Amino acid sequence: MNKYDAIIIGTGAAGGIVACVLAEAGKHVLLLERGAHLSFTDVGRDHLRNQRLAIYGHNAGPDVVGNPRVFIDPQGHARIVKPYELDYHNNAACVGGGTRVYGAQAWRFHPDDFRMATKYGVPEGSSLADWPIPYETLEPFYERAEWELGAAGNGESIRHQIPRKRNYPLRPVGPSPQTAALQNGARQLGWVTTPVPLLINTEPYGGRSACIKCKYCVGFACPSDAKSGSQNTVIPRALATGNCELKTSAIVESVETDERGNVIGVSYFDNNAGGPRRQTARAKVVIVSAGAIESARLLLNSHSAFHPAGLGNEHDQVGRNLQGHLYPRAYGISPTKVFDGVGPGVTIATTQFNHDNPGIIGGGMLADDFIKPPIDFWYDSLPPDLPRWGLGNKRFMRENYTRVMHVRGPVQDIPNPEGRVTVDAGVRDKWGLPVARLSGTTHRATVEAAEFMRERGEEWMRASGCEKVWSAQPGLILSGRQHQAGTCRMGRDPKSSVTDEWGRLHNHDNLFVVDGSLHVTNGGFNPVLTIMALAFRSAEFIARAMRN
Amino acid sequence: MNSETLRAVVDCLIPADDFPGGYEAGVGDYVERLLRTDLAEHAEFFRAGIDAIEAEALARFNKPFAKLSTSEQTATLAAIESGEVKTIWPITPSRFFEMLVNTTAEGYYSEPQQGGNRGAVSWLMTGFEKFSDS
Repeated sequence: MNKYDAIIIGTGAAGGIVACVLAEAGKHVLLLERGAHLSFTDVGRDHLRNQRLAIYGHNAGPDVVGNPRVFIDPQGHARIVKPYELDYHNNAACVGGGTRVYGAQAWRFHPDDFRMATKYGVPEGSSLADWPIPYETLEPFYERAEWELGAAGNGESIRHQIPRKRNYPLRPVGPSPQTAALQNGARQLGWVTTPVPLLINTEPYGGRSACIKCKYCVGFACPSDAKSGSQNTVIPRALATGNCELKTSAIVESVETDERGNVIGVSYFDNNAGGPRRQTARAKVVIVSAGAIESARLLLNSHSAFHPAGLGNEHDQVGRNLQGHLYPRAYGISPTKVFDGVGPGVTIATTQFNHDNPGIIGGGMLADDFIKPPIDFWYDSLPPDLPRWGLGNKRFMRENYTRVMHVRGPVQDIPNPEGRVTVDAGVRDKWGLPVARLSGTTHRATVEAAEFMRERGEEWMRASGCEKVWSAQPGLILSGRQHQAGTCRMGRDPKSSVTDEWGRLHNHDNLFVVDGSLHVTNGGFNPVLTIMALAFRSAEFIARAMRN
Repeated sequence: MNSETLRAVVDCLIPADDFPGGYEAGVGDYVERLLRTDLAEHAEFFRAGIDAIEAEALARFNKPFAKLSTSEQTATLAAIESGEVKTIWPITPSRFFEMLVNTTAEGYYSEPQQGGNRGAVSWLMTGFEKFSDS
């Protein structure tokens, strides 16, 4: 049996970084990924089966067959869901995880995002809490993620809100036809704007070429490899050391403990070479980086006589506080064309309303959007009073696909312990493992903030010269999906958190969770850069601890 | 399911103007393919819906749906969309209609390889692409 220094479960935004830092520190690492290496062609360009619009399937795993989840709707009805259904709350399962097919917005959280309870108090029914670390502690690691993966941006205009010591390594993405109108609109309203930071090479960087400005960022793979994810940055670095062994199609069954309850390794199914074979691997340290839903599921499925409710779950905290983002959105018809077919399409944002909104807890960022394929636009962006068929619908598509301006943004999710992941022993995946069961909704304070942001979006559209304006926000639902977070949150008190500030489980010195699960709150921003920054910080801590 | 009915329904949902209507663009073929593949589980439901549209046309105008005038066709589909049907339906009319409208739009507006957007007509129409071979 192989003995490693560290076993890392998951190759997404966090797992890749942990593997890279440990392998470069000379540690012998086993990196396990349930999905496969997906080439550009494997991911493809199917407009109906991708991670942005998944009607009949999707393009980056997990397989549609054999990977069910159970979803409990707000009325309490349970139903089995497939990976491409919205209620599955999927994130990609492949080498690179979500970063293989994400849009790559590279936001830092706002300093106030780390002290939500102190700033706003704790609303009834919520588990709102401060992070155990302030923004300043994470700042150097944000910088590290921006420089080591390659972020493009210009943080000058919002430096007073989100301080930074060093600029981005790459210049921001250039303007699109709508950018000037949105900038003028914001100026009239007295709002500060900023270019949207992206982990996309606006010029050659890290040995990879520049963005060729195609129309397919979110939901698809990048044709010029200019979009930076774990699969083309930190994982190749880890493998280049010779210290990291990457196994794909490896489904981890459980984190294993010895007869005294100490973590000793994992058991997993190797699906290569003719079907699943159960394997075990031993290591000094195990790091779970499978995403907020699967990381919680794995800990809950890792039960023994010592840990009957699952690892780290002595106080029934694992899987609780599942968060993501509600996305309010606003649209308007611009007097001039705003579509020129040049990607990525997202250019300008305002962080004016992330905090300090009267009567609102938190808030969020608003930005224009990535280019939407016509069928995405048809589903997402039509005015509610437009007939959904007939000549009127067709004429609207014809006249306004290139003229509809659009802003949307993630609203800070107010956590609540009933929005959660449990496991369902009655429903198994194709390896016989109990599947994730998702239940609850976000807190109503999140919906109030989303409504407030929807109104700001409409305001921005009108000030930017739009003739007809409409908007939407999702209401009281469970959030999660690609921005899933919060299920193994960090904290000082073992009764209300799962790990310490390093991602180390309170009762296990050698078991870590490192991914979005750690987020105490999930900011009013796309969370990936925060996941990456925390991963660098935890990985350095683990490397240091292993030296001693 | 009568293919003449399907054709007339698709062309009523996405009518021809100076850009091709749904059927000419291939949406009929797209729907038939989907009923054999991704929508196979719902094929019976879908076919029952198309048959029910035909029955509705006969009950209202004493003519097959394909022989109705444009305004008669539109009125028939609008009634089905809002659930105000005159015949007994084996399935929920509004639920079927939503599926029908969605699959039709999916065929017409997604990539040409799906079969319902031949020559990338909808992409040229919307301006998503400037040339049909791109």
